[in-house]
Amino acid sequence: MVGKVEAVNGGVKPTTTTPASSETPADLAPPAFSFRALKLKTKQQELLIRVTILCLVYVLAFIARLFSVLRYESMIHEFDPYFNYRTTLYLTQKGFYEFWNWFDSESWYPLGRIIGGTLYPGLMVTAALIYWTLRFLRFAVHIREVCVLTAPFFASNTTLVAYFFGKELWDSGAGLVAAALIAICPGYISRSVAGSYDNEAVAIFALLLTFYLFVKAVNMGSLAWALASAFGYFYMVSAWGGYVFIINLIPLYVLVLLITGRYSMRLYVAYNCMYVLGMLLAMQIRFVGFQHVQSGEHMAAMGVFFLMQVFYFLDWVKYLLNDSKLFQAFLRITVTCAVVVGAVALGVGTASGYISPWTGRFYSLLDPTYAKDHIPIIASVSEHQPTAWSSFMFDFHILLFLFPAGLYFCFKRLTDATIFIVMYGLTSMYFAGVMVRLILVATPAVCLISAVAVSATIKNLTQLLRAKNKAAGPGKGATSVKASSKASLDQSLPFQRNGAIALLVGAFYLLSRYATHCTWVTSEAYSSPSIVLAARGAYGNRVIFDDYREAYFWLRQNTPSDAKVMSWWDYGYQITAMGNRTVIVDNNTWNNTHIATVGRAMSSYEDEAYEIMRSLDVDYVLVVFGGVTGYSSDDINKFLWMVRIGGGVFPVIKEPDYLVNGEYRVDKGAAPKMLNCLM
Amino acid sequence: MAPKLETLTSDPAMDSIDPILHTLRLVPYAFLRPPRLRLKLPSLTLPSPMTTYSLALLTYFMVVSGIVYDVIVEPPGIGSTQDRATGAVRPVVFLPGRVNGQYIIEGLSSGFMFVLGGTGIVLMDLALDRNRARSVKVSFASAGVSFVVIAYVMSMLFIRIKIPAYLR
Repeated sequence: MVGKVEAVNGGVKPTTTTPASSETPADLAPPAFSFRALKLKTKQQELLIRVTILCLVYVLAFIARLFSVLRYESMIHEFDPYFNYRTTLYLTQKGFYEFWNWFDSESWYPLGRIIGGTLYPGLMVTAALIYWTLRFLRFAVHIREVCVLTAPFFASNTTLVAYFFGKELWDSGAGLVAAALIAICPGYISRSVAGSYDNEAVAIFALLLTFYLFVKAVNMGSLAWALASAFGYFYMVSAWGGYVFIINLIPLYVLVLLITGRYSMRLYVAYNCMYVLGMLLAMQIRFVGFQHVQSGEHMAAMGVFFLMQVFYFLDWVKYLLNDSKLFQAFLRITVTCAVVVGAVALGVGTASGYISPWTGRFYSLLDPTYAKDHIPIIASVSEHQPTAWSSFMFDFHILLFLFPAGLYFCFKRLTDATIFIVMYGLTSMYFAGVMVRLILVATPAVCLISAVAVSATIKNLTQLLRAKNKAAGPGKGATSVKASSKASLDQSLPFQRNGAIALLVGAFYLLSRYATHCTWVTSEAYSSPSIVLAARGAYGNRVIFDDYREAYFWLRQNTPSDAKVMSWWDYGYQITAMGNRTVIVDNNTWNNTHIATVGRAMSSYEDEAYEIMRSLDVDYVLVVFGGVTGYSSDDINKFLWMVRIGGGVFPVIKEPDYLVNGEYRVDKGAAPKMLNCLM
Repeated sequence: MAPKLETLTSDPAMDSIDPILHTLRLVPYAFLRPPRLRLKLPSLTLPSPMTTYSLALLTYFMVVSGIVYDVIVEPPGIGSTQDRATGAVRPVVFLPGRVNGQYIIEGLSSGFMFVLGGTGIVLMDLALDRNRARSVKVSFASAGVSFVVIAYVMSMLFIRIKIPAYLR
């Protein structure tokens, strides 16, 4: 009773209530619980704050991506997601075996496409699993809703993984900042907005998860974590072709650790388990097949695998020999032999053709000038252009300042984990500079390193603040030595406390500007569905036109069901998904000659084009013209690419024929071939 | 004692069972005498972390200035427009109209601003190091703060010039 009265009073005055007043507590009627019990210990307070922040960040990452769903409706954006949606629909309707063995005769007429063997099933299987789980819980959702909201859901999960990764790298404060930064970073939002049902939505989550699990395995040296990272790698391989980045970065990281003398049993266990199991698991995906042992892009991992065995062998021999000089000689001989044998094996493999050379897509990342000269299809995609500074600024904002600072902090405290994140950051920034689309891959690294910078700087500033406080308080009772040392700290920088407060305010201002920028960019630039277009009308009013979907629906309703539609490859996926008609070429672009045939048809004189179209059994031709509204990515603008790609295979088509004095014109002063061609 | 002295003075090669060693001792090296050289193989040492960091910073500057864009697209160093009224040619620093396009000089100056901001934060951290003189710490701190402020203000200015609709 006495204690309860104390609690009600907040424990301010120690009560010396006599038993006589024991009747009064009944009148006082204290609340049913005491506030004392709510006062948590510091550790529990910290846990509560952390969990609250993580929950808020999770929700934030989800809702920041919902702009287009709220503005238009819940629909799939862009071109590639329509193919993914169609395959997911097929998977949920027909089951996994039908999906895995699917041969599609509705696209690439008359060749058809082996869909089961030429796609990355991770995204579709994930969405189908979520759909089946929700259905099992009796939520009657449509598969389209699940597909639209898969990307924001996985973005929220990525923030959680970023928290744990930051905690592994630096400390939990850095983890929280990393989660918050990555939740709204425009570089990630651009490809994971609601409706963008593409491989990257799931792949970035898988990428960060694999890296986190591997770094954890290297730090712990446990087989369990290495096994988990192998399964994370399997998920990544099933989700995106960018897994090649993982299988080259991790061996490079292991090599750097070996060179800097950080070989240890933990590294050995982690890498071996991850490589062998990951490789075996990756071969389960038909699209990847045996590439892990046959393709040049995967040879680095194998080379480092053998190098690790050599290191282990040398370690064992050193332990057995107990003689330094003999061991040095043995070391030199063995390393030379190993390197020579490896080089000879690589040479024999490459010369005999067993190990295929790097494919064009990835080779153009190492040598950016390659695509421009040799592979016009790769060069024509706007996402594959190299990056200008403004794209970096748009997608990263403040993080561009924090990245070099974070690198500095990582170099100051070099551990196995910070070496990894530095390598990931530097390599991914280089690739982001080569191709705009790869800013997405660099985003987690940049967010993590910036989080290290933010956390370290704010920790320094708050330590400055608290040092002055501590000196003011109990310092008075301390010994003279302590007081003088604290006093000297006070004297070291003038206006220390005020300066620290001002700098903290400045740091929070910068972070708030980052949040404003991210929200603005998401709302204005990255939330457009690309299939529904908006423009300003003559009176400034907003006009929304749905021409694409109306055209596809017209095709669906007014053409016979076995009609074949010819169009440029951009629209292929959408026509098959929404118009439900057979197309000649689509976005998969796996057959350059077929696309060149279509390009030739589009750019030849009408009678020649008619012959080509009859040979392909074409019934309808779909072209996009944006003239009246000034829509800038219509087929007239893309026409020169049709000429180039067609001319790449059929030398009959020559680009200068369509230009006037080297300039591309489409008015009545255009070249005669241009005026008379099919387009 | 005597047997030890003997082994010390005798040639250790006599104890070897390596046939190649014995052949080599006979065939060229019975009459050839290798000269006494004072050659040393250059020993490779790893660079210190801070050296690596400055190299990384230089690479970061080049990548973020859009050097790959410059090499592939080959834009001019600075653009130019013709003034309608006077016919004079005026330079245009920022490529207008597109987010993903730049001239060389605008790329380099923006990259410099980013690196400046990063260096500012690094200087602020160096200012807290206890083992330096007070005046050095003060100058580091003030330089760091001013670098960050300048870099942020200039970057915002650049992006507003480039994209007129920014944050509106």
